[in-house]
Amino acid sequence: MISQDKTMLLGEAIDRYVRDGCSISQCGLIMREPLAACHEIIRQGKKNLTYIGGGAEVPNMLIGAGAVSRAETGYIWIGVVGAGLNYRRAVEKGIPNKIEVEEYSLNGLSMRFMAGAMDVPFLPTRSLLGSDLPRFNQKIKIINDPYEGQQVALVPKAQPDVGIIHVQRADKMGNCQIWGYLGMDAVLARAAKKTIITAEEIVPTSEIRKIPNMTAIPHYCVDAVAHVPFGAHPQSCTGYYWVDVPFRRQFMACNQTHEDYMQWVKEWIIDAGDWNGYLEKVGTDRLAKLQELEKDNCRIPV
Amino acid sequence: MALAYSRREMMVSLCAREITDLETIFIGVGAPLLAGMVALRTHAPNVTMVFEAGGIGAVSRRIPWTISDSPTTDNALAAMEMWRVMADTQRGYVNVGMLGGAQIDKFGNLNSTVIMGENGTYDDPEVRLPGSGGANDVASLCGRTVIIMRLEKRRFVERVDYITSPGYLAGGEARKLSGLKGGGPVAVVTDRAVFRFDQLTKEMYLAEIFPGITVEEIRQNIGWDLKISPEMRIAEPPTEREVMTMRELDPLGIILGGKGVLQAESFDDFYRLMKQSYEADGICCDSVCGGITFRPFILPQS
Repeated sequence: MISQDKTMLLGEAIDRYVRDGCSISQCGLIMREPLAACHEIIRQGKKNLTYIGGGAEVPNMLIGAGAVSRAETGYIWIGVVGAGLNYRRAVEKGIPNKIEVEEYSLNGLSMRFMAGAMDVPFLPTRSLLGSDLPRFNQKIKIINDPYEGQQVALVPKAQPDVGIIHVQRADKMGNCQIWGYLGMDAVLARAAKKTIITAEEIVPTSEIRKIPNMTAIPHYCVDAVAHVPFGAHPQSCTGYYWVDVPFRRQFMACNQTHEDYMQWVKEWIIDAGDWNGYLEKVGTDRLAKLQELEKDNCRIPV
Repeated sequence: MALAYSRREMMVSLCAREITDLETIFIGVGAPLLAGMVALRTHAPNVTMVFEAGGIGAVSRRIPWTISDSPTTDNALAAMEMWRVMADTQRGYVNVGMLGGAQIDKFGNLNSTVIMGENGTYDDPEVRLPGSGGANDVASLCGRTVIIMRLEKRRFVERVDYITSPGYLAGGEARKLSGLKGGGPVAVVTDRAVFRFDQLTKEMYLAEIFPGITVEEIRQNIGWDLKISPEMRIAEPPTEREVMTMRELDPLGIILGGKGVLQAESFDDFYRLMKQSYEADGICCDSVCGGITFRPFILPQS
């Protein structure tokens, strides 16, 4: 018996939960990022977002599309093929707009989401000490701990308005099972005020119950579940499809100037209409081959 | 018959040799990844590779191109969350971290955040780089670190613009006094020389030089008055097995270079190369790592 059904179309979830000016975060980390959701945010013309960064490619795309005014970030880069040129242009030249940057290390960000997930004001880390991160980011505080007097760095909690996570499987209630690396997905799901899940597959709850150890995100943290096959293309999704390197190289080539990037956005996001339109453009044969290349090496056993 | 190798390949092999079998190693993107994989396939088959996104002990046929793609959990011992991996490192379970760097100074501090330039500032830099990612955490927390990067004058500067990943900070006791627990860098492996750090001053010195390279050439690419070890020696070239392993793992030349990222490469070529690696028949040498046997693939005829 399904106690709650949170399924909806991706467009509906983005429209409902991602408001102009809100703070947004996503997971995946260079791979299994929610590209479909990213496209939809750009397609719906969202503006003035504060991006709290646990991803690498999505923020670069959002920044290039003019959607972001502030980034609390750890790393922005297009995995395998190179630099996040949109990010670089925004910081170096203010194109398409200047963005404020607040920097952390990835562990720092992970601890921020963990603090958010636990609803405590901060968490300590032994990294960041001695480096220039605390010097340029006043929110990182160095203290001597109250018990032994050892130096630790404190990072403030992060509870973004919206968190978006792409997972392999979810049920309609929002219980999510993730294969491969977990990154910050599980802590983000709890830290975010609203959590949107895009899933390769929606399965009956009975399937989730067979292997509860695999459940990374329990349903009570989740607000919306959208069925979005290939939702991380061109990145890899463990057990489902391999990274589309030639596609990313072409994308990288189109990032060389802001105009080229916006032309790419027009062709692959706006004119494509929706994610299905994008996937049709990529081509079913190509997608099938990417699936095959992944399954050659990694098959999910259930 | 001796196998011809490039200086970059020698760099990777020297980095791989910094790893001892049975160690737990934290791996960063790019050349460090390749070095870790080479170590695993050659002299250190029982090494446990840890990736910041959560993959532990992967033994994969295909090379991970980033720290989160599917190969980081192929045949892995565990797939965990980022906070857990970072905490384990912080607790002291990780012996060595391998890092690449954009810019380095004479005390082994790395910069991957901003190059300020002549009149630039942190908010208005000449070049905006990706950011720390996990680099700050690795440099802060691992037992020791090995840095791998190409030797170029613009990269080897007296003091970095921004300390992203701490080496020995201002030298001497500075690192200890900052509260950092991890030991710091022990080697900088480049494509022309290997540098190590003075026990007391913590300043980088020239320890090994590649065959055919002169000390003068090295000096010309260092932005300070470089110290030379009285025991400086010629570095050992890579073995044929190491080189063949590298080439098998990186057929697209993404890490070893020699192919422009923007070079057009059809999806069909990509598919074919990936399939070849899967359907391999032994040619070079078998590797047994982590108890799993691999037969490497036939190198594509270029």
